[in-house]
Amino acid sequence: MKRRAILAFMLDRPGVLNKVSMLIRKKMYNVDTLTVCSSRVPGISRMTITLREDDIAKVTQVIKQLEKFTEVISAKELDTNKSYWREAAIVKLEIDSDHLKSLQDRFNFEMLEKKNRDIQIIQVAGSTAQIDTFLDEIGRENIIEIARTGVAAMEK
Amino acid sequence: MTGKEKLLSALKTKGIKYIFGYTGGTIMPVFDEMDKMEDFEFIMSRHEQGATFMAQGLSRASLSTNNPQLGTCMATSGPGAMNLTTGVADAHMDSVPMLIITGQVATGVIATDAFQESDVVGVMMPICKQTYMPLNADDIEPTIHEAHYVATTGRGGPVLVDIPKDVQNDSVSPKYRFNVKGYRPVLPGYLYHPAPDREPLDRAIKLINKSVRPLIFCGHGVINSNAGALLQQFAEKVNIPIAFTMHGISALPTDHPLSLGMMGMHGTVEANKAVMEADLLIAFGMRFDDRVTGKLNEYAANADVIHVEIDPSEIDKNVATSVAVNADVVNTLRLLLDDPLLTYKPRRRWFKQIDEHRKVMKDELQAEIEEGVGDTGKLLMKTIVDKLSKVTKGKDLIVPDVGQHQMMAARFYNYQTENSWFGSGGAGTMGCSLPMAIGVKLARPKERVWSISGDGGFQMNMQELGTIMEHEIDVKILLFNNGYLGMVRQWQTLFFDGRYSGTPMQNPDYDHIAQAYGIPYIKVEKVKDIEPALKKAVAQKGAIMVEFDCDPSEVILPMIPSGGGFDDMIVTRPGKEKSALKKKKKGSKS
Repeated sequence: MKRRAILAFMLDRPGVLNKVSMLIRKKMYNVDTLTVCSSRVPGISRMTITLREDDIAKVTQVIKQLEKFTEVISAKELDTNKSYWREAAIVKLEIDSDHLKSLQDRFNFEMLEKKNRDIQIIQVAGSTAQIDTFLDEIGRENIIEIARTGVAAMEK
Repeated sequence: MTGKEKLLSALKTKGIKYIFGYTGGTIMPVFDEMDKMEDFEFIMSRHEQGATFMAQGLSRASLSTNNPQLGTCMATSGPGAMNLTTGVADAHMDSVPMLIITGQVATGVIATDAFQESDVVGVMMPICKQTYMPLNADDIEPTIHEAHYVATTGRGGPVLVDIPKDVQNDSVSPKYRFNVKGYRPVLPGYLYHPAPDREPLDRAIKLINKSVRPLIFCGHGVINSNAGALLQQFAEKVNIPIAFTMHGISALPTDHPLSLGMMGMHGTVEANKAVMEADLLIAFGMRFDDRVTGKLNEYAANADVIHVEIDPSEIDKNVATSVAVNADVVNTLRLLLDDPLLTYKPRRRWFKQIDEHRKVMKDELQAEIEEGVGDTGKLLMKTIVDKLSKVTKGKDLIVPDVGQHQMMAARFYNYQTENSWFGSGGAGTMGCSLPMAIGVKLARPKERVWSISGDGGFQMNMQELGTIMEHEIDVKILLFNNGYLGMVRQWQTLFFDGRYSGTPMQNPDYDHIAQAYGIPYIKVEKVKDIEPALKKAVAQKGAIMVEFDCDPSEVILPMIPSGGGFDDMIVTRPGKEKSALKKKKKGSKS
């Protein structure tokens, strides 16, 4: 199913996140990712939700119902081709240093800590697909722990 | 001043006179203050659910008067608040403005599972238009003003304010200021569109002028924006027939020549057939609920749809529109009425087609109404409603409960008074009638109010007879007793091979119940006694209960089966009963 990103701006009031997640549950979606941060304007939060849906009419319904919330100022779907979708991940992994070095040219990652010769903590940022590929290349079996931020998105 | 004083003074400022509810531990400070102020009339329900329906009745009935009032209810935390939920969900479904104030345990013990604590905001959030929990006394007054604004603007709905007990008692800070007159809520995301844009309106006018078989839909929004008279003028101006949603009933007279009556699951043949055959639907203030549309992929397949609706999330939700007009109905109609481009057409062929549909069940229904009794020899609800309509000349306020009798009241009462039909639609809450009738009567004290219930629904809130007794509320209570949950029984007859599982019930002696509350009571078992009993109820000063011994086998037809399309409309009575009807007809001929 097609992955959709919805960008919404809303008043920073208690319970808004609760309402948004309840709406998505009510519409029978499972949230792929959900990120919230403060926006440029004090008191207004920015939320990016990704979920999977092929039917554009259904996505429009979600957006209209999001906009119906008293606190939501605006909501819209972000076109994949006209926006940047990025996330970051922190990965604790057991990996051969040389192997990691060989990936340096192709992936945007940074060493946060080298616990010992084998165990390291790195930070990687990029599109969801880039991070997925990176994780495949380092070998999923080498990952001890991983924390991904979820998608933040912005129009071009 | 304290939080509770600020709360009550804000309510007073917003013109709230009646408070419906039930006290308890965490709302006691507010009640105590209310007693001191003497500005409010407190109506004690016997169950918190009753209070919510009373508040709904007040909101809905008063909106067409010079004094629109926001129905307000109060309850304590925990079970008190939880008992409100059904009526709140009901108001949310039916777009009824309502203010709900609940006491909450003190902030110091919130989320510790304190005595009578429940997460009221959490529970109410999905069934309210908005929820608030002011956490200091300074926030209470602005919250009430914002809550009132949100509840009563745009598409109405219930708004909850949950106030911890200590916040009620706290004093406002010395620097506290609130400018009542200059108050404007700061809600940048809360936009509604009272006036339509010109562009969609122009497209709508073109479609209307082009249409050969147009049909107007009159929804709840017409009543909510007091636009019944304007809709009638509009329909007459362009000569287009009107079908009503259940909540659109009473926006204009039922017997208006352009009226086709109610559409949908139990709508008239003419309304439903017209929907099927129309080339244009002009929908005012409605949400194309499944009971209106039936199977969506077959619905009005050949028609363009103009949808005038204040809530943008309803547009294109169930039915794709050709022209969306996101605006208040009344403003849209004003602009349409003034538009010189709109043309009148005689539409002779279209009306002839509709007149043919009008004939389909007419004789059969008329024969049933005249017969007055069903297969069991007991009274037919449609006959009672028909006689009520004649006795009251269709001018009274009707508050049905939920079920078969509700559909009978929707179909066979000849509504003449604008905004005279109140009940539960979207949620279909049994037990709503008796308490809602109380609110309706308080809003319109000079008009006669009839609460019509079946024996199932009546028993769900019959404790509110206590409120009627205590406040001497003049509600005429009609009880259509057939010993069954009639609507479910009808489904069982039609779709479950007549297995009546969970529908028959033993009833109490309603004479004794009425007596216990000091309410006069009449029982009617014969057709000839219906009219005298209704006339007696009219003449009675104060509440009266009339119980009718009704036929459990009566069905409300036509019916579109749940999930079915308009082509599946059932217009003839099922097997056994059908043959019985034929026999009777033969008998009457010979």
